[in-house]
Amino acid sequence: MWQATYLFDWAFLLPLLPALSFVIVGLLGPRLKRLEHGGWVAVGFGFATMVIGVWIAVEEMLSSGGYTDQQYTWFSIPGNGTGTFPNGFSLVVGTLVDPISALMLIVVTVVGFLVLLYSIGYMHHDGGLPRYYAELSLFLAAMNGLVLSDNLLEFFLFWELVGVCSYFLIGFYYEKPSAASAAKEAFLVTRVGDILFLLGIFVYFATYATSGSAGGWAANGFPFVQGNQPFLAGAMGGHSTTLTIAGLLILGGAAGKSAQFPLHVWLPDAMEGPTTVSALIHAATMVAAGVYLLAVASLFLGFTPADQLAIVAIGGFTSFFAATMALVNTDIKRVIAYSTISQLGYMVLAVGAGFAMVGLYHLFTHAFFKALLFLAAGSVIHAVGTQDLFKMGGLGKSMRITGFAFLVGGLSLSGIVPFAGFWSKDDLLASVYGTLATHPVYWPFFLMALATVFLTAYYIFRAFFLAFSGPASRDPTLPTAHEASWVMTGPLLALSGLAMGAGLLPFIPAFASLLPGAGIPPHYGLSELALSGISLGLAAGGIGLAYSLWGNGKVYTAAPNSALGPVRALLLRRYYFKDAYDAIGLRGLYGLSRAADFVERYMIDGTVHGLERAFGGLSNRLRHIESGVVLDYAAFLVSGLLFLLLFLLVIAPWLVSTGGI
Amino acid sequence: MSDPITTASFLGLSGALLGIGLFGILTRRNFILLLIAIEIAINAAVLNFVYFAAFASTPASGLNGQSAAVVLVGLAATEIAVGLAIVLALNRLRGSINVTEATSLRL
Amino acid sequence: MFPALSFLLLTLLVGTVLTFLSGRWARWVALGSSMLFLLEVSGLLSGFSWPGVSASGVPQYAYAESYPWISLPWLHISYTVGVDGISLPLLLLTAILQLVTVLYSFDERRQPAAYFGLVLLTCLGCAGVFLALDVLLFFLFWELVLIPMFFLIGYWGGLRRRYAALKFFVYTHVGSIVMLVALLVTAFYSHAPSFDFAGMYVPAQALGVTTQALLFAAMLFGFGIKFPIVPFHTWLPDAHVEAPTGGSVLLAGLLLKLGGYGLIRWGLELLPTGLVHDQPLLYAVAFASIIWGSVIALAQRDLKRLVAYSSINHMGIVLLAIAVDSNLGLLAAVLLMFAHGVVSALLFMVSGSMHHTFGSRDIATVHGITPRTPVLSTMMMVGALASLGLPALISFPAEFSALLATWDRLGYWVLVPLLLLVVTAAFYLWMMQRVLFGPTEGVPETARDLPWPEALAMSMLVALTVLYGILPGLLTNVIIHSPVYGLP
Repeated sequence: MWQATYLFDWAFLLPLLPALSFVIVGLLGPRLKRLEHGGWVAVGFGFATMVIGVWIAVEEMLSSGGYTDQQYTWFSIPGNGTGTFPNGFSLVVGTLVDPISALMLIVVTVVGFLVLLYSIGYMHHDGGLPRYYAELSLFLAAMNGLVLSDNLLEFFLFWELVGVCSYFLIGFYYEKPSAASAAKEAFLVTRVGDILFLLGIFVYFATYATSGSAGGWAANGFPFVQGNQPFLAGAMGGHSTTLTIAGLLILGGAAGKSAQFPLHVWLPDAMEGPTTVSALIHAATMVAAGVYLLAVASLFLGFTPADQLAIVAIGGFTSFFAATMALVNTDIKRVIAYSTISQLGYMVLAVGAGFAMVGLYHLFTHAFFKALLFLAAGSVIHAVGTQDLFKMGGLGKSMRITGFAFLVGGLSLSGIVPFAGFWSKDDLLASVYGTLATHPVYWPFFLMALATVFLTAYYIFRAFFLAFSGPASRDPTLPTAHEASWVMTGPLLALSGLAMGAGLLPFIPAFASLLPGAGIPPHYGLSELALSGISLGLAAGGIGLAYSLWGNGKVYTAAPNSALGPVRALLLRRYYFKDAYDAIGLRGLYGLSRAADFVERYMIDGTVHGLERAFGGLSNRLRHIESGVVLDYAAFLVSGLLFLLLFLLVIAPWLVSTGGI
Repeated sequence: MSDPITTASFLGLSGALLGIGLFGILTRRNFILLLIAIEIAINAAVLNFVYFAAFASTPASGLNGQSAAVVLVGLAATEIAVGLAIVLALNRLRGSINVTEATSLRL
Repeated sequence: MFPALSFLLLTLLVGTVLTFLSGRWARWVALGSSMLFLLEVSGLLSGFSWPGVSASGVPQYAYAESYPWISLPWLHISYTVGVDGISLPLLLLTAILQLVTVLYSFDERRQPAAYFGLVLLTCLGCAGVFLALDVLLFFLFWELVLIPMFFLIGYWGGLRRRYAALKFFVYTHVGSIVMLVALLVTAFYSHAPSFDFAGMYVPAQALGVTTQALLFAAMLFGFGIKFPIVPFHTWLPDAHVEAPTGGSVLLAGLLLKLGGYGLIRWGLELLPTGLVHDQPLLYAVAFASIIWGSVIALAQRDLKRLVAYSSINHMGIVLLAIAVDSNLGLLAAVLLMFAHGVVSALLFMVSGSMHHTFGSRDIATVHGITPRTPVLSTMMMVGALASLGLPALISFPAEFSALLATWDRLGYWVLVPLLLLVVTAAFYLWMMQRVLFGPTEGVPETARDLPWPEALAMSMLVALTVLYGILPGLLTNVIIHSPVYGLP
């Protein structure tokens, strides 16, 4: 029998090791030319982190759903028995290993390590490598910290840190104005979500602090500890309106990070960063943090029915909305980016419908096949030097491993049996379908999600056929494509294996203990099988349509594009959301700022200068009475004396006698 | 027989001295006459000190008024000394002791 | 007991005088004196234990000393000094900023003896303000700060230095006078037995509501000009833009803190009822400063002006944290003052170095500097990220506490500062996008990265930013030892 003493106590190493790597690579990287400018150091630390992370996850499986929490006080205020915080309070940080954080650890450390290894090949020709590896290491540290957080405040702290890592990595090619702008956009849009999240924390805090039983607040800091749930539910019991608001605010934060409507605009632009970054941050891990937050909140804090409806609506709508934009895009990375938004919408939908574990199940499989798709796309870009799908073609012959990897990723994303995506997506749709009887209002969002299956299969295979089928490279100016070294193909193959098999893992009971709850592993009854059939049929239809329109070099026929007409322009302009936000930022906020600056310079300072001139003018006149003649001064003196006498002898007695004073 | 020197007549005398002094200060342009007018005004104050010292409740406190008078006389003497020095300097610099012409200290 | 605080002030005075007299060795004398100062403050910190509130309800102070100075039947002025958890962190800030300012301007060529002497004199004044516990002594040090800063701006400043110096002087002096009148009225009107803090404490708190409210409003005006509060803030951008870098650092890092410290020590502690009565006014002023500072910063092209307006925004949050009148709010206010002192000092140094290196602080024309000056760029990044409240850097725990305290008292009004945090992020990110990133053509070939004194000074501030960002407990454990926590 295992004893639960093993590596749980060392969980703090998971954020600490990559942080150490950040410091080493950041400071010494430029001197480590033979270690690929510190890249191999980062890979080494990444490997150690992966080993510990997976080890801890395995131990968590074997400990059958237990959890280990280690807390350290960050800072605290003693209570003084009166005032707002009679008991004082402490803000704590800690590492909490529980089933879902163990699941996330697998995702983060495995994908993180594979991406680091892949980067050695992919980034070989780029400058600024120490910066790249340092930032990627810091990202891993922050993400591990986020996953292991045991309270909302700590969660927020690491949440912001992964955000800033994302900012730096999107802007990695900083000399490109578009990259610098995209980095700023990503930070600002998610910042809007962060503000809502922070306010949500405040709301939870207030409700908890004022209605929680004595000592709970002081002992635990922010209310986000496993085992506290019943206590919290009781504390929150009488505050359903507040709880609804708090839930919506948390949803706002998650929408920012997970690029859900209407805060979705930043993710496609985030593709300005290196493809490896897109794979790790903007597909597999960081953007999933929003979903993870929602799942955690639904497990430990609880959502009201109104919250759930809002979450379902946002998730369902986003999945469909993002998929439509992927239909016509010609940039291979952006197509995958839209699919990420769409798939995150699925997860949000599941969490909203009350199936947090199913959402996390999809998060788990999605991380692998989406990282795979991005790395395969990166391999293509590395080989041909363009991201334009219409300039590729026929790569399947020259890049067999990459083509195979992309095919596996595409099938998994489309939800074709038995690839990973099938199991989780199918489970997800079946779970939501199960709630329709009691919540008929979910119907439209369920149908949107179902329609998305068709769209997804279509757009990802459109990309596949455009890039890999047909005659070889249509653009003679591009270099001849060939497969890269093992550091790139190795991770591709490893992820291919995961994208095929990860969906089956929950059928192992020990692994299923990481996703405790109904629906995992999926139960297949009659209606579930029927639903599977429908969604498989939709996916197959999508693939078939893609093949008939784009398969085998049919790219020269412009028919599919012109058929869409003005709709195509609308989709390519991304429904004008970005334009609207730019207008708000540039015209609205900046205009306001310029106006305020004008007021500042000419009205506030103008008033000051006016006062200055007024006093200056007055004293300029008054100074003429200073004639310099002694006799004039004497006259002033005497008249002053006379006035004083007059006042004391005549005016003051008169005032006193009339009662004026 | 009543004392011929009443408070009213005494105050009248010192008031008259003060008035003469002030009148001189305001109207004389000759520096020396100006100084004389100032002396007259000071003498009004000296007279007051001496007179009211006679009404002191104790001889010791009466000395306060008398000593103030003596200090004032000394002050007047030093003032004359400084004043006459300025007159000499002014005369040497400008060849005139008309005070309305000495305005170079003006801003 | 050893008179530690008097000894501290004495060594500062000796150091300042020696610096003035030492000609071309001035910078070394100033450096030595600054290190001694920091050492002494570290000693004070390590031996700090707060004696608490006395049985009669009067707060006591660590290292307290009191000697009568002017004693008349109706006037008792004394030399009284002491520290508690509010003043000690700010004293530490003074020592740190004096050291880094001297270090940063180590290669000053124009009249170095006078320059370093004035820098030390400014810090001496600030230290005195934080230590003094007697109205008149406080006012003496308060005014002492004004004079060296006036000369620093007026002689070593930029093109419009005379205008800026005069504006600075007139504004802050008007504030000082109103402040002095308010303090004296508090003392006389409450028939306080003496002018020191302990003597005024109980009588002042016993004043009526209306009196307290009026006096507090007057103090808000007097201390507020130093903050600065909108609409009495326009001296700040001009002073910053024209001041030499060292002057800007002290101005933003220390002088603004005098206002916040004064409002807590002499306003909040003496006139608590007045503060509660004036809360609507305080909220209005704080919100106005937060909004105005942040919104205007977005339109600025001069980096120093931008940082100056962001200071107005941050000090608005400090005022808000004071205004909510809770123990968390006061903790946040002191913490945020410390954080802002460090971060704004860093950002003004960055502005100054940008000016030396590229001949301009215009963020709309200087671009793509990262490859040419990586160290300067890193400093700018850390400063900007710290100022926009990134976790693990010093401002985050402070801003978080301030906003939490605001939420606790004002509920959803906290959305105002929260939303302005987005604007703050926007102008810093836009600044970084324009200056650090973008095409690298046009960056002068001659541009060199930071010389070592500047790099060292900034590195120290960065280290502090990270240290206190990760371990804010180092500061909060000191701050809580003050009467405003009302600990038993």
